[in-house]
Amino acid sequence: MFNVDIMAAMKEDYKIKNIAGHLSKIFLGNPLTPILAVAILLLGFVSLQTMPREEDPQIEVSGGAVVVAMPGASPKEILNVIVKPLERRIREIKGVEHIYGTAMNNFGVVNVQYFIGEDRESSNLKLYDKVMQNMDQLPKGTMPPLVKPFDIDIDIPVLTAAFYKLPNAKIDIVKLYKTIRELQQEINALDNVSKTTLKGVKRPQFNVLVDLNKLSAYHISLGQVAKAIKSISTNAPMIDTQNDKGKLVVFGVENAIDTVDDLRELIIAEYMGSPIYLKNIADVEYSYDIQNYQDALIDYQIGMSKHPEKIKKNEHRKKEDSDELESEVTFRPLTEQITMTVSKLKGTNAVFIAEEAIEKIQEAKEELHNAGVGFIITRNYGERADEAVNELVHHLEITIFIIMLILIPFLGWRESMVVTIAVPMILATTLFIAQLTDQTINRITLFAFLLSLGLIVDDAIIVIENIHRRLHLDIDKKSVDEIIVQATDEIGPSTNIATIAIILTMVPMAFVGGMMGQFMKPIPLNVPVGLAVSLFVAYVFAPFLARKFLNFKKIKKEVLAHHAHDDHSHNESEEKNDKGTDDSKGEEK
Amino acid sequence: MTKFETFLYNILESRKKRWIVIGLVLASLMGSVMMIPTKLVLAKMLPGKSANTFSIYIDTATNASIKETREVAECVVHELEKEPEVTDMEIFLGQGAPLDYAGLVKGSAFKRFQNQSEIVVNLTDKHHRDEPSFKMVHRIRPRIQKACGNIHPHTSIKFIEMPSGPPTLATIVVEVYAKNDKELRHVAERVSQILADTEGLVDVDVMLDDIYDTYMLSPNKEKIIRSGLSVDQVNQIIYLAFKGMPVAVKNTKDQQDQVPIFVRLDNDARIIHGKNKEALEQKLSNLRLMNRRGMMVPLIEVVEIKKRNSSPSIFRKDLKNMAIITAECDMVSQVYPLLDAREKMLEMMKDEYNITKTPGISTFMFDLNAVDKKTGEKVLIRWDGEMKVSLDTFRDLGGAFIAALILMFLLMVVYYKSFSLSGIVLAGSFLSIIGVIVGHWITDKISLYFGDINFFLTATSLIGFISLMGISARGSLLLIDFSRSLMKDEGMAKNRAIALATATRAKPILMTAVAIILGSLLLSTDPIFGGLGIALIFGSIAATLVALFFIPVLMSNAKAMNPHEPTECEIEEEEKEGTWCILTNNIRSLIMRKKKSCDEE
Repeated sequence: MFNVDIMAAMKEDYKIKNIAGHLSKIFLGNPLTPILAVAILLLGFVSLQTMPREEDPQIEVSGGAVVVAMPGASPKEILNVIVKPLERRIREIKGVEHIYGTAMNNFGVVNVQYFIGEDRESSNLKLYDKVMQNMDQLPKGTMPPLVKPFDIDIDIPVLTAAFYKLPNAKIDIVKLYKTIRELQQEINALDNVSKTTLKGVKRPQFNVLVDLNKLSAYHISLGQVAKAIKSISTNAPMIDTQNDKGKLVVFGVENAIDTVDDLRELIIAEYMGSPIYLKNIADVEYSYDIQNYQDALIDYQIGMSKHPEKIKKNEHRKKEDSDELESEVTFRPLTEQITMTVSKLKGTNAVFIAEEAIEKIQEAKEELHNAGVGFIITRNYGERADEAVNELVHHLEITIFIIMLILIPFLGWRESMVVTIAVPMILATTLFIAQLTDQTINRITLFAFLLSLGLIVDDAIIVIENIHRRLHLDIDKKSVDEIIVQATDEIGPSTNIATIAIILTMVPMAFVGGMMGQFMKPIPLNVPVGLAVSLFVAYVFAPFLARKFLNFKKIKKEVLAHHAHDDHSHNESEEKNDKGTDDSKGEEK
Repeated sequence: MTKFETFLYNILESRKKRWIVIGLVLASLMGSVMMIPTKLVLAKMLPGKSANTFSIYIDTATNASIKETREVAECVVHELEKEPEVTDMEIFLGQGAPLDYAGLVKGSAFKRFQNQSEIVVNLTDKHHRDEPSFKMVHRIRPRIQKACGNIHPHTSIKFIEMPSGPPTLATIVVEVYAKNDKELRHVAERVSQILADTEGLVDVDVMLDDIYDTYMLSPNKEKIIRSGLSVDQVNQIIYLAFKGMPVAVKNTKDQQDQVPIFVRLDNDARIIHGKNKEALEQKLSNLRLMNRRGMMVPLIEVVEIKKRNSSPSIFRKDLKNMAIITAECDMVSQVYPLLDAREKMLEMMKDEYNITKTPGISTFMFDLNAVDKKTGEKVLIRWDGEMKVSLDTFRDLGGAFIAALILMFLLMVVYYKSFSLSGIVLAGSFLSIIGVIVGHWITDKISLYFGDINFFLTATSLIGFISLMGISARGSLLLIDFSRSLMKDEGMAKNRAIALATATRAKPILMTAVAIILGSLLLSTDPIFGGLGIALIFGSIAATLVALFFIPVLMSNAKAMNPHEPTECEIEEEEKEGTWCILTNNIRSLIMRKKKSCDEE
């Protein structure tokens, strides 16, 4: 009913010319408008909380490596028989940017790098397909080729933790491995964890270190030793056979070696009538894989395992009497460690996964401590992403606040409140749209928001400014609603065209290629959306909020007082007012 | 009339003053653009960012043992222990550290040799630390390289910081392409020498295997067969004796793991004393093989030891043999050391090569072609790495910028149906570049004064400039629209209308500019997006000045502003012409129709 009143009033003396006026009129008196506003804000808030967070945006890098081994071949040979033909075949694949070939002793590697932005799944498939098609052309003596595609999501862990032997603890590296492996199982079972790996692992192993002198003394060759060990350690399946009554009898051969002593007692040969045991000619022990040189070590400040937070914040270095920090700290000596890495599935929230994994580790803290194992979280991308996002959100809040403050002297505090409410609504809508289009919250997305902040307030400012101006001109002549709609409508065409112009300048940025283009992508994706939304908000909610917030009585009083004053002094503004009304009538025709 | 309006009106009325304004604007445009070639404003792709972590890559000589690599790593760790801001360090020997963005492109995942090692250094939280990580690296780099770089020959210790943008193999990458292996090595060596001598470049490394002595045991086939052995047996036993291998796998009761049984000679018998042929010979003489008749044959009897150079790995890119030389920039932009090094190459490699520049302008424009004077072998020296990425990005952004200009111009022509008015809007937008460049110069000076850090013109500055175009167009648009309506509706004289319109619209123009400036203040403190912030702040200042003084002058000069020409949208609306009006009419009629149906209901 109220709407109809406005429309009726409107039709009489002002004809709306632009979409801006229509939008503002439709929503101005609509009871659903505030509900819509609250809904938008809520949606934005939910998006902010639930969208996957990461520090840097995803860069879609497709590629992979093909590894072909050919034992005993020299680099030149590998180059000619493996790398060159393989390179030529891979060249045939569409979308390949660079091919890096490496020919080494014993094996060749061909790394394939697709153009940035090529679809990863199909690129991997194409590479695999190409290699498989040409399997028949591989030279003799090569092992089957290995195709390993890159996968940034899975390959770059979001969390790493180093587990090490506490000082004075009696735990060896093999025992450490076994303890950590239990934990690894549990963490791998968490939701959205894609892969966990261990680095610096020492696996248990029986080591037979042969004494060459004794070998010669007993007249045994190394080959015999190897053969003897090999023959005794074979596993046989269970045997079933029938007995004379037709019943099934099942029996098997037990493993001959179970402990290190079994291995030591192994008879290798006979010498001068007496048996030679393995222990006679070799040092046999149960320890770790000594041939593996991939060690991992850790060096840490004292206290890192107990209260890492304090050390990270430099609190432990604070001197009691002054603000200066201690210039020296003590480190524990280098210790062997095992690093566990945790990767996430694509499109999942690094923050949650890292938190859950750390929680699991913390749960096991007591147990680990009793076993003599300490740990340090050495990488936490979840925390970093969260920190970066929160910092930027904080920056956004500060900026909105500053803008509000600066608008007060220009417009008055009620008007600047309208702008301040409009901005979060625009950001909320943009964020919600970003979530719908499968984006993540990262530094660049938020920078896009910070960048657009200066642009999106414009529309609301211009609408409010014009309403403000119009009100001061016409409040004694027309109804408030009429003035608001007219004011919004007036600036419609130039605001539309200016906003479209800004959107147009942003669009070509989407076509920037390469890594940088991918990295910057959130800017051309989100800024135009934000701008379009800002137009909508400026036309729909700014007039509505202005009607709710502005103190019309006060303006009216001011204007009347001003007019009274003007009548005496000079008539310019009066004249302008008349012309203003003439305008609208003239346009109406 | 306000003071501003009078002031502006006076300018517009006087032909001389108008020309002064135009002259001033042109002069400042020229001046600011000239700041880039004169290096007053330095360009860089992306600046450094302070992080809580950095990595150190250690590569010892290709034939170095894990023990030697470990010694170097321990030395580095020992040096780092003197830094109180270091909280913990993880050393990974013979393998890469857990992968990160930098490691992804630097081949960290492929490290598996004894001469490779990575150290992850974690620092205290950056909010509680005074020194940014990149400054710390800058400070400790020479110290550590001096202390630990010479323990073993051919050691390279590289400091890897978290990239602030997309990662690259290295800041400066020189690819040398040549067919001949020897030529390739020689050129690579010279290039790396030149890079090492260039100021501002550090961590220079040639990614080629060192050539070292190896010993080949060549089996004497006749002797092997006559002593009842086989070549295969000889190979296997030598491998088993010195390198060892798991000969069998065992399941145990206690654990369900497969436990390998590993056989090798013990350390006494295996470890060779000294590094020469005789020592190896002596070791081999103790090793005996059993032949088919059960007799023991000393290994040394059936093989011959030959000394030979190692065969280095061959690296190829896009089907051509290549060597890569990498270098990092030490807190300076990569552009200027690169140009220096290139000049030096042109100068210093003249003695052996006929060296020429690559003609034409492309993103490969820094490449050099060299022809060996003696052999006539062709060598291509190509610049890759961050520079190439920068050039590609700047090219793409430049293209985007031109596209934006054209799109905007077309939009304006559609809106105004006048080329000159569209030109005014565009000129107004473009002039914000003065502010962008001068702003960078000022910020650079401030940043040098307070933090001793250069502030560079970066890719994000360019993004800021592009978005400024649209923003400053808005100001011009408002001015043109308002002055035209003043002239048309109120019959005001041209210059008076322009002056009044500018004075009236100055408030919203100033307000939006202030909003942008304040909105970008926090942006400008960020290492990566600082350029964008600075571009927006100073660009909008320039744009505001341009809109308030220069645009009115241009409008006053433009004939298209004259009130009687029938270019006005409203006029054409009646004639039902003009795409823009038709467009809005269509939208309007759509809405009207809807409303009608609503009313009917």
